[in-house]
Amino acid sequence: MPLDTSTYSLALLRLDGRRWNELRRIHAQISTQAAADGSSYLEMGNTKILVSVTGPAEGRQSGQRGGSGGQAKVEVEINFAGFSGMERRRRGGGDKRSKEMEHCVKSAFEGVLLLHLFPHSTITLNIHIISQDGSLLAACINASTLALIDAGIPMTDYLVACTAASSASSTAADNASADDPLLDLNTLEEQELPFLTVGTLGDSDQVAVCVMETRVRMERLEGMLAVGIEGCKRMRGILDGVVKGYGKRFG
Amino acid sequence: MPVSILPPTAPLPPRRDATSDDSDVDMSDDELTPQTKSIVTPGEHITSDPQWMRGHGTYVPSGETTIISTVAGHMHKTNKLLSVQPLRARYQPEIGDLVVGRIVSVQAKKWSVDIAAPMLANLPLSSINLPGGILRRRTAVDELNIRTFFSEGDLLVAEVQSLHQDNTASLHTRSLKYGKLRNGLFASLSGAGGGILSRRGGVVRSRRQVFTLNTAAGEIDVVLGVNGYIFISKHIKPAQSATDISITRLEEGVSETLYSSQNDEIEPAVMREITRVSTLIKGLVACGMRVDEDMIVRVYDGAVELEAEERSMGGANGVDKGIGAKGVVETVLGRLEVEAGG
Amino acid sequence: MPREAEISLNEREFIKQALQEQIRLDNRAFDAFRKLELTFGEEYGVADVQLGKTRVIARISIDVTTPLPERKFDGVFQIFTEFSPMASPAFEVGRPTDAEVILSRILEKAIRRSNALDTESLCIIAGLKCFALRADVHIIDHDGGLIDASCIAVMAALQHFRRPDVLVEGERATILSVREREPIPLSILHQPLCVTFSYFAEGEIFLVDANLAEEQVRNAEVIVTMNRHGEVCQIAKYGGVTVNPLAMLQCTNVALQKVKEMSKFIQQKLDEDAKRRDAGGLMAELSAENAR
Repeated sequence: MPLDTSTYSLALLRLDGRRWNELRRIHAQISTQAAADGSSYLEMGNTKILVSVTGPAEGRQSGQRGGSGGQAKVEVEINFAGFSGMERRRRGGGDKRSKEMEHCVKSAFEGVLLLHLFPHSTITLNIHIISQDGSLLAACINASTLALIDAGIPMTDYLVACTAASSASSTAADNASADDPLLDLNTLEEQELPFLTVGTLGDSDQVAVCVMETRVRMERLEGMLAVGIEGCKRMRGILDGVVKGYGKRFG
Repeated sequence: MPVSILPPTAPLPPRRDATSDDSDVDMSDDELTPQTKSIVTPGEHITSDPQWMRGHGTYVPSGETTIISTVAGHMHKTNKLLSVQPLRARYQPEIGDLVVGRIVSVQAKKWSVDIAAPMLANLPLSSINLPGGILRRRTAVDELNIRTFFSEGDLLVAEVQSLHQDNTASLHTRSLKYGKLRNGLFASLSGAGGGILSRRGGVVRSRRQVFTLNTAAGEIDVVLGVNGYIFISKHIKPAQSATDISITRLEEGVSETLYSSQNDEIEPAVMREITRVSTLIKGLVACGMRVDEDMIVRVYDGAVELEAEERSMGGANGVDKGIGAKGVVETVLGRLEVEAGG
Repeated sequence: MPREAEISLNEREFIKQALQEQIRLDNRAFDAFRKLELTFGEEYGVADVQLGKTRVIARISIDVTTPLPERKFDGVFQIFTEFSPMASPAFEVGRPTDAEVILSRILEKAIRRSNALDTESLCIIAGLKCFALRADVHIIDHDGGLIDASCIAVMAALQHFRRPDVLVEGERATILSVREREPIPLSILHQPLCVTFSYFAEGEIFLVDANLAEEQVRNAEVIVTMNRHGEVCQIAKYGGVTVNPLAMLQCTNVALQKVKEMSKFIQQKLDEDAKRRDAGGLMAELSAENAR
């Protein structure tokens, strides 16, 4: 059922009352799991994610000793809780969409972590999605960053991600009035609007991850990227605050 | 429907569970306490002054001179060397560390030992004390009997002898202090990793790590592995005649029990004290305290005293009601502080 | 499991150094595709794409089923990919590698989710009967650029395919055989095509259509799917080295130009094929399609 988002142009307020450039409430904790080497819990609005990191440790399968080429191997596993979505449904691990996400998180962090410090070992990320309400991939990346920091695994910078949408539909080509890009989408907005997930390395503008799944005019891309990157910077500030706050308590 | 539409709220600032006062920071003599309160986080520029050298936990992007932190933790300056020690990380073995480990697999001439490090450690057959009293070369018979010394699941205490290129440790047990562990209880600090070393709490290197605790029920041995693995066992008195005979004779006497997997008989009272020590150590870690001999002795005495008092008062509140390891330790520490102050 | 033969360290360095000197191994320009070949089979809906040494065959087949209850007015369209061991010893049947999952996800997003095919036109009787269209993609030879080649193959095959006409009388539908009535083409709304950019030298250099050796050396890839109208259907950059956002926007401009060229090429090949089939010039009269 297509939702009517046309009201946006009237008050410039979104369905949940945010303005175009506002993030949802973010709450994050680290060191939530005692058994893991590093763990985190992240809420972005109603998207809730739990990540635990094991490693660097000897790989599970014997014989094949972790990564090749003097680097640690990164393994990612994403679990969707049966109650996380609209319908109660068990999702098998072989789902192509979650495999794609696993691949994305894995290759994104392979570029950020200093893996050469742990040759032959394996770093395993277990991502549990407790509740999904949009920006899923972005939340997975942010939560994984926190968990990896908690595990004390060296990385060049925070890898942070955010979603951004273009509020004008792809058909209405030239209506500049309500053409604001939107930041940090929830499920309803994701279903309605073309959006992209962008992940950047810390405060820099450098794009590490960029995934877009919906059709959009190429001219709109620039605005969406710019807003997404801006959101990433703010996200980094928030996550940094969480880590620093934790450091103050246990430092 | 799990998705609800939220009322408009301004994005809240990150929740910082701010410490109202650093009441538990009474161990200011700890040499690990850094000069600065705040920590550095990954990606933070530390300095671009070329006079500094980069150490652990930092990196310099290619073609630049800026030193950037790669972990979240405290910064240390050693002369001109800048390093960042992470708040929490896996144990990184160093030569000479006393570690408690667990045999994971047995191979032809060596054992693989889990010491909570990134890689399993090796214990070559040639680095253990072979039975027979005298120091001797290993033989083919020893190779065939490798499982009689250590088999999968056995606990042992050993020393890191050397490190390989990829930071894999090689262990040795060529001392009477080291070898198989039995008659007691194993405890791992902080789950799988034991990675609390660099935090404020945890086992401290360069302190006495093997000591004997005097309790009402008898003596208890405590082995604090630097890797966060701990073993608490009943103290076994060496044979009476040990003083008279030579070193080699001593080893001969011990060798019969050296690789035994059979527990001696442990009195219930001693078992009780062993579990008490184990619980207290876990509590210390939960409180973020350092774990060493002095601390354990003090907390243990405090806990025993507390229990005695409560029993005399009719067990109104406290230990038996299950306030948990952390609660007990907090109570004991609170009392100790009062005593010290008063 | 046989592993893909990894490129030697020496070659790796060689390729990187050559790229710094603006030279590619096969002497192409940085923004040039390899030689593209497209042939159609005797039957409708078979496209054989050769991109350099990479070869992909796509085949469209059709069947009649009941539509999904939540999508009563839509036909079914599915894309299946198969990596055959004949393309590379590293491929194994029945155990999809990461590359295979990514390929099928990209095709899914590029073609299915962007509504390249009007699935409503596949509906026969709402809620009761519809066509189920199936595209099978077979990788015959692997020398890099699988995603680009597969996407071309599927789109060409879809445009080449003709489905049998159907006669609906109330609740009764009759599928008319090819002999009774000339089959009709699918209604394609737009033609998405993929262009894969490979980044080298920490994101400084980017190439179009990398071959297998270059793919193994690259630091990052960006897959851009566009149609010739300038709409981006899908972008995928799954990690790797970081890239300047302006460079990414630049990619879409390059991609647009490439997509236009490729669309033209496909159209030209389709026309040639139509001319070949239309030997007597009777096709226009046989067609049951309305001019829209």
